[in-house]
Parts: sequence; C-alpha cells; structure tokens
Amino acid sequence: MKFEDDTQNLKVRMVIIHGLVIAILAVLGARLYFLQVINGDYYSERAENQRVRRLRIPAPRGAIFASDGKTILVDSRSTYNIILAGEDMKGKDLSDFVAPLSEGLDVAPDILRERFEQAGRQAAFEELTVKEGATNADIAWVEAHTLELPMLLIREQPQRRYPEKGTLAHVLGYVGEISPEQLKQPKFKENTENPYRSGDIVGQEGLESTYDRYLRGQDGYREVEVDSRGRIQRELSVAPPQPGQDIVTTIDLDLQLTAEEQLRNSPNKRGVIVVMEPQSGEILVMASYPTFDPNLFSQRIGTPEGRKEANALLRDPTTPMFNRAIRGRYPPGSTWKIPMAVAGLQQGAITLKNSHLACGGGIQVGNKFTRCMGSHGSPDLHVAIRHSCDGYFYRLGLKMGLDGIMKMVDEFDLNKRTGVDLPHELVSWTPSREFKARFTPKNGDPTWKDIDTVYASFGQVYDFVTPLAMLRAQAAVANGGRLYVPHLLKEARPVKGVGPFPERPRQTFDRPDPKLLDIPADQHQLVVGGMWGVVNEPGGTGGAARIEGFDIAGKTGTAQVVGLGKDTGKNKDHSWFVSYAPAWKPEIAMIALIENVGFGGRFAAPAVHNIYNTYLSKAHPELAPKAAPGASTEVAKR
Amino acid sequence: MVARLEKRKLRDFDWLLTLLALAISLFGTWMIWNAVPDAPYWKKQLIGIGVSTVVMLAVAFTDYRKIIHIAPAFYAFGLFLLVIVLIPGIGLKINGQRCWIGVPGLGQFQPSEFVKIPTVLMLARYFGRHRGSVLTFREMLVGGGILALPVALILLEPDPGQALTYFPLLAVILFLSAIRMWMVVAALALSFVLVPAGWYAGVKTGKIKSYQQERVKVILDPENADRRGYGYHTWQSILTVGKGGLWGSDTKGAASQSQLKFLPEPQTDFIFAVVAENTGFAGCILLLLAYAVLLTKLIHGARRAPDRTGMLVIMAIVGGLAFQIFVNAGMALGMLPVIGVPLPLMSAGLSAILSTSVAIGFAISIRLRRFVN
Repeated sequence: MKFEDDTQNLKVRMVIIHGLVIAILAVLGARLYFLQVINGDYYSERAENQRVRRLRIPAPRGAIFASDGKTILVDSRSTYNIILAGEDMKGKDLSDFVAPLSEGLDVAPDILRERFEQAGRQAAFEELTVKEGATNADIAWVEAHTLELPMLLIREQPQRRYPEKGTLAHVLGYVGEISPEQLKQPKFKENTENPYRSGDIVGQEGLESTYDRYLRGQDGYREVEVDSRGRIQRELSVAPPQPGQDIVTTIDLDLQLTAEEQLRNSPNKRGVIVVMEPQSGEILVMASYPTFDPNLFSQRIGTPEGRKEANALLRDPTTPMFNRAIRGRYPPGSTWKIPMAVAGLQQGAITLKNSHLACGGGIQVGNKFTRCMGSHGSPDLHVAIRHSCDGYFYRLGLKMGLDGIMKMVDEFDLNKRTGVDLPHELVSWTPSREFKARFTPKNGDPTWKDIDTVYASFGQVYDFVTPLAMLRAQAAVANGGRLYVPHLLKEARPVKGVGPFPERPRQTFDRPDPKLLDIPADQHQLVVGGMWGVVNEPGGTGGAARIEGFDIAGKTGTAQVVGLGKDTGKNKDHSWFVSYAPAWKPEIAMIALIENVGFGGRFAAPAVHNIYNTYLSKAHPELAPKAAPGASTEVAKR
Repeated sequence: MVARLEKRKLRDFDWLLTLLALAISLFGTWMIWNAVPDAPYWKKQLIGIGVSTVVMLAVAFTDYRKIIHIAPAFYAFGLFLLVIVLIPGIGLKINGQRCWIGVPGLGQFQPSEFVKIPTVLMLARYFGRHRGSVLTFREMLVGGGILALPVALILLEPDPGQALTYFPLLAVILFLSAIRMWMVVAALALSFVLVPAGWYAGVKTGKIKSYQQERVKVILDPENADRRGYGYHTWQSILTVGKGGLWGSDTKGAASQSQLKFLPEPQTDFIFAVVAENTGFAGCILLLLAYAVLLTKLIHGARRAPDRTGMLVIMAIVGGLAFQIFVNAGMALGMLPVIGVPLPLMSAGLSAILSTSVAIGFAISIRLRRFVN
C-alpha cells in the first residue's frame, strides 16, 4: 500500500470487503444451483404449462338415421359460442365482466353471474361459455374488443338439430352439457378411454344417452403457444378429432309420423303407440304424446326464455317429457286376457277340447258382484276373446289362482324391464300378495282374496303395465313364443382411426337370444284365432282396425281409470288396442293406447288401422287401400 | 519525456480489466438480443458500449487527482441535474417516475446514474485526507450530508431503487475511514433486530400496505403468494431462471419467457433471468466469476492506489457495483423484492453503462498512477 495508514487495520477491512463481495456472489451461485440444477425440471414444467395451451377441437357427434340408413333424424350443424378463456381464472373476480359482456353480447346479467359462480366452484377451471349460438353481430363485437377483452374467444360448436314438432323426442332424447354431478357418476368418471370433462356435451336422454359412447367422438386439439396475455403466438401441433359413430335406428319414419298423427288427432292428444317387428324385437315406431321439442335443450336452454320453457315443460300436468311407452304404467284392461288365455291353456285351467267357461253376466264373490259388459252364455275361448267376455276370464282367473297368474306374469316377463335400449325404463306392477299388502289402506284387509284374483284376471286394480312390456308379451304370442328384447339400435357405423384414436368398429344391438315360451302350436292357433276374430269376425270388438286382405289379429282393452260410473270427462277409461299382422305369419305388431277416451275399440283400433295402411303402402302396396293415406286421419277424428 | 510517459502508461494500463468489462457488456448485449430480438435495444446498447469505451479510455488517461480537485464543481452540477429533472417539461415522466432528461438528438439520460460518480469523488475527497485517528462524529455527519442531498432529490423523482444504490458508497467509505468496529457491529446487530421488528409493527399498524406485504411474501413463499398480482414479476423470474437448467433451455422461435412477455422488463431489470434461461447454470456461474474477477482486480488496484483518496474511490465503486449485482440478481432469483436496479454492464440503458464505464475508467486511471510520487 502506497500510503501508510494503519489506523483501525485498513488492510484487514479491505480484506473483509473483498470477502463480503465474494460471499455475495457465492450466495447468488448457491441460489442459482437450487433453482436451476435442483429444481430446474419443476420450474421448466411450470413455465411450459403457462406457455402451451391446448385448445379443443370438438369432434362432430355421430348422426342418427332412420332404419333406411339414409333419412337423417338427428345431425349437428355449426354454431358459434363465445367463451371466456385465459389462464387459470380460479379465484379471480369475474364480476367486472358482467356488465360489459351482458351489454355487448345481449346476455342477461343473471345468467352470466350464475355461470361465473358455477365455474368458480370447479377445481381446474379453464374456460366458460358466455353465450351459445352467437350471431354475426356478437362475433363482430368480440373481434372489435380483442384488446380490452383478450380472454374472449369464439369457438365453433356443433349443435344438435332434432326433428321438428317433437317427432321422436322421447326416443332420440337430447344432449346437454355434462353437469358437475354427472362428472362424479361412475358412468362418466370411469370412461378413461375418452374421458369426460366439464363443459362436454353429452347425451342426456333417449338414444343420445344410451349410445353416447358410440355417438361421441374423440375431441382433437390444437396445441398453441400463448404469450402472457393469452394471445396465440404459433401453433405447435394439431391432432384432428375423430368423429363419433353414426347410428342407424330401427325407426321407420313413415310409420312413426303416421302414429304421431294419430295421437295428435286423438281427443286428448295423449297416448302412446309402439310398433315392433315381432320376429326380432326391432322397434319401428315409438310415439308418446304429448311430446316436447328437444331442440330446446340442445339450443335454447342457455337463454332465459329457454329456461322458462323447460321449467314449464317439467311442471306440465300432461307430462310431455315422460316417455309413456316405457315409463307409463297403465291398467292393461282386456289386453291382459291374451297372456291369461295362453297361460290358462298352458296350465290346464282350460283345454283345447273344452275351453268353455260360463259368462254369467258377471260373478258373485262373497257379497260382491262383478259384472261382465255383456251376457255371453258359456263361450269357448275363441268367442270369449272375440267379445272380450269378462265373466269368462273372472272364472279362468279363479281356476288359475293368484299363483297361476303370477306364473304367467313371470313367464311373459311382465314383472321385469324389457331391456329396451333407452334409459329410465320402469318395471310394471303386477299382482302379488305383497303388492296388495303394500297398497292396502290402514283400515283395510291386506290379505289376498278371491275377489282380488278376479280383478287381477281382467287387467285391473293389480295390473299396471308399461305399453312396451305388454307389446313384447303380445309379440311373443304372435310369433309362437319367442320373447325378444325390444330395441332401437340397428347399427352403429364404423369410423376410421384418426391419429392416436383407433378405428371404431361397427356395433349392433347386443341382442340376447329370445326367451322361449312353451306355447304348443295348437294352443297358439286357438288364441291367435280368437284375436283374428276380434278384428275380422262379426261382433268382434276391434272391427275398426280391419283391412280387407290383410289378416290383422288384435285385442281391444279398456282400462278403468276410476270405478265404474265415474268414467266421464278427464277420468274416462284408457283405450287400448294390441295387434299384429298377418295373424299367422306376423311381420308387424303394435300397441296403441289413447288416454281417457273410453272404449278401446272406438279410438285405439282405428288409429292402428291407419298405421297398418301406411305399412301396407310400403311393404305390400298391392294390399293397400286405394284411399290416399291422408284420408285415413278422418277415422281417428270421428 | 512525453513519449516515455505514454509508453509506460500503455504498459501499465489495465488491459485485463478493460477487456473483462468489455466482454461482460458484449455478453449483456447478446442477452438483450435474446430477450427482445425485434426491439432496437441491442443496437442502442452496442452504440452505448462504443461510446462508453471511448469515455472510459478518456477518463483512464486523465489524472484523477485533477478531477478530484474540481469534484465539488461536478457534485454541484450533478445536484443541478437532479433538480432540473424534477421540473416537468425537462424531466420525462415514465411509469410515474420523473427521472429522465431528454436530450434532443441523443435520446434521454438518467442523472441519478451519473451523480453517483461526483458523489463518490466528493466523499473520497473529504475522507481522503491523511488519517491519524478514528472517525469523528462530525466527519460522519458531513459524509452523511454529502450523500443525503442527491438521495433526497432522487427520492423526489421518486426512484427509491436508485437511491438505495447510493448507500453502499458511503458505507464502504466510512468502513475504510477508521469508523470504530463496535459501531459497525452495533449497526449490524441493530438492523437485525429493527428490520423484523419494524416489519411486524408496520404490518400490525397497517403502515405497510398489503401489496407491499405481497411483494415480500412472494420472496418467502413464492408458491403460495399472489402469483398473478404483486408476486407476478418474482414468480415469472423464478420460472425463467429455473427453466434454464444446467446448460440453458431452447429459446428458439418464441419459446422464451421474455419473448412471450411472461418475463417483464427482460432487457433491463430482469436481464439476469434472461442469462439464466439462455445459458443455464453454467452461463450464470461464468458471469458471476467474471464479476468476481472484475471486482477482485478493482480491489487489487485500490490496494496499490497512490493515495487514500484513490483507494476510497475504487473501493466505493466496488461497493456500489457489488451491491447492484446483489440486488439485481437477488431480485431475479427471487431472494429480494422487486427493485428497479440495473445489473452493471449488462442491463440495457445508456446511462447505466456509461456511468459504470466512467467508474471503471477512474479505477484504471488511479492504478495507472500507482508509481507516480
């Protein structure tokens, strides 16, 4: 050191400063080691995550076709949604967006607030829909505001389009956004191959729900790099989506439309018609009235009006959302007599040689007389079916006993679900001691009596069946004892593999072998003969269904809604008609139920007549009546 | 005689120091280019380096004693600049701070960067007299006054980060001017107690605002702090540094944190994070080593300074540079709160590189004259 200055150890102090400088740099080095070498991978991943964003390319959902494989029942069209997306917005206060978005995009502030709230509750929330079905003006507004609102994006969204006027609404169902509750259900949670995410559109009802796994495609994605404001800088990779499988149903649209017309023209516009191919269980028609517009759920549910409409639908006392074919439990009335007849012969309560039982104008059990609608002397089975003689079946029921009736119910699977490929099918209620015990009022006698057997034998009081279950049983009678599972899926068409997604093969309804009922040919002959007589013989109750040259066999039914004598107005009986044709070689079977209109022969049979006409004009034009199909509606209106 | 002197000057000239400073600043320019390749910063920086090198050589070949002699004039001129920068119309307001003076044709410069030099000269001049005894209270008061004037003016801009960089200048000079050791120890001990206590009291009484708390919280616990609000800068800088790994990460195209604008102010305040991202641990350690060599060379020069004043000038420069390196890199590494202090020789900015070059020029000049008298 040039200058001598040893006060307070200058040299030492300079060394201290030097040491401090080196120490500071060493601390920085240590920190660098910690951040870059020890935790480098972790931070690298975090940086990557904020830089790379996956944008979903929604896969087109499969279309749904009628049985001809050409007529489109449901398809998707492109609409545009406006979504709010950015970095993890969780915990961020979105309320500032309500006013500008509601004004700019014409969305009710309440709806926005509700959506923001819902999105905020979800764990890893990335985006939320602000408006569905954006108009050109909305899109222009978003584009004009990219600077102030860079988190607004326009996303193409395929939207389901369902037939108008509620045609096939109950069969097709509808799609809707998966709910947080659904995401927790095993059905959705456990699909690891094509996982469900919040915001996904899934089938909520009908075939859309049952075959969601076929219809739903695999979403593709675009991997993009974004900057700190979420603006896309460049595309890193694209994985195209794999469309969902198209589905071909067993529905014959011409028949379906005819059937719906019959219901629409019925006095109360309520009822159900199901048409089935008796040799396979394929459902050609399933019409339930009143109906609803599924487009409401796929398109308009986001708007306040749409929500109002949906609430009104749910509260409507005529239950338009309710698929009467599989969820309506109706007393079958006299249609019940057909399985009773088959079982009576099987169980030996009556025989081929002697099927006579007294009518007696009714029956006296204890102190109670239950009357027949007419006085039929001592008819054989053929006549009893033709005239729907209650007295005959009271006595047949008593001979078979409750156990015999229960055996019949079990044999025809009337106490089980049919297994149809639709959600929410209900099980029919059928006679049993437990059933009575459960529904007997407190001061009543819960034990099963003979009078109960009488009631149970002609389709009242203890019998509540779904139309589909009844049709299935009748179709088994028609085809000689094969109980098929009714179904709506003909095939799901194959889809080629795309990128990482493997090929999806053709699928058909996984149909179990039919349950075989032991109906000897001669007994079958006798019952079918009686049913043929119902339509084709003088005095038959179903004459209104008759078509010259086409052997329709059928059975009318009148289901009491309330006790006799009070059956007027809205409490009128339900009118049933079950049938199939040709009687000896059935190709088609159908059931019609018109609610609260009275006697079965008067409303249900003519409705069915018109459907047969439509069928004939397609399948057997040589047999079709010359009158134009349009004229047939007159019959129903009468 | 003149020729001989020039020859000796060239022989004694500290080439290594000059080249090291030049290398660091060129490395910095490369990083600025990495951070914002499309912006003109790196070009401006190259021009700045060119100008700075000339100025540095000019200062180096000037006898520092002559400058020390007129230090009060420089100091007064510096204060004058700090005053006029506060006048709207002369001082430019950027981000709420009025700390730039626009010079037509030249761009803008930051007086607070330059005033460090006259302040150091002034302090060195005052404390550079021969010492025979321990530091008196009076001397400390005068030293504090010399520092307080520019610091107060800078706080009016307000630029607390820049003001902070003035304190180590005085601290080093006091430390080397025979301040009693017990006072140093006491000051250190007191700050260890007072800082946490003051923090606690400030939080309790609400004097320290919640956003200020967040800035500290993000240092202590970056994972759980408000990473999108006040902790954003720190968190993004940590990510950027960590992403670099051992050898640096791929920043081609637009994959870099700074180019995607996740890392704010990458060319100035967070240039160290850019180094970390591009060259990894290896590059950062090399840079720190370069700084270590640079500062060590300066300290060696100080030891051989011809007089106390020269020694103090160099050591104050060392203290200032080391402090800035620590605050800037510490901030980039998430160890210190965000304070706008440039990284010496690296951060983009003409004023910063020029003032650092002048400082190093002084150091060289002082060393050059080690054999004189």
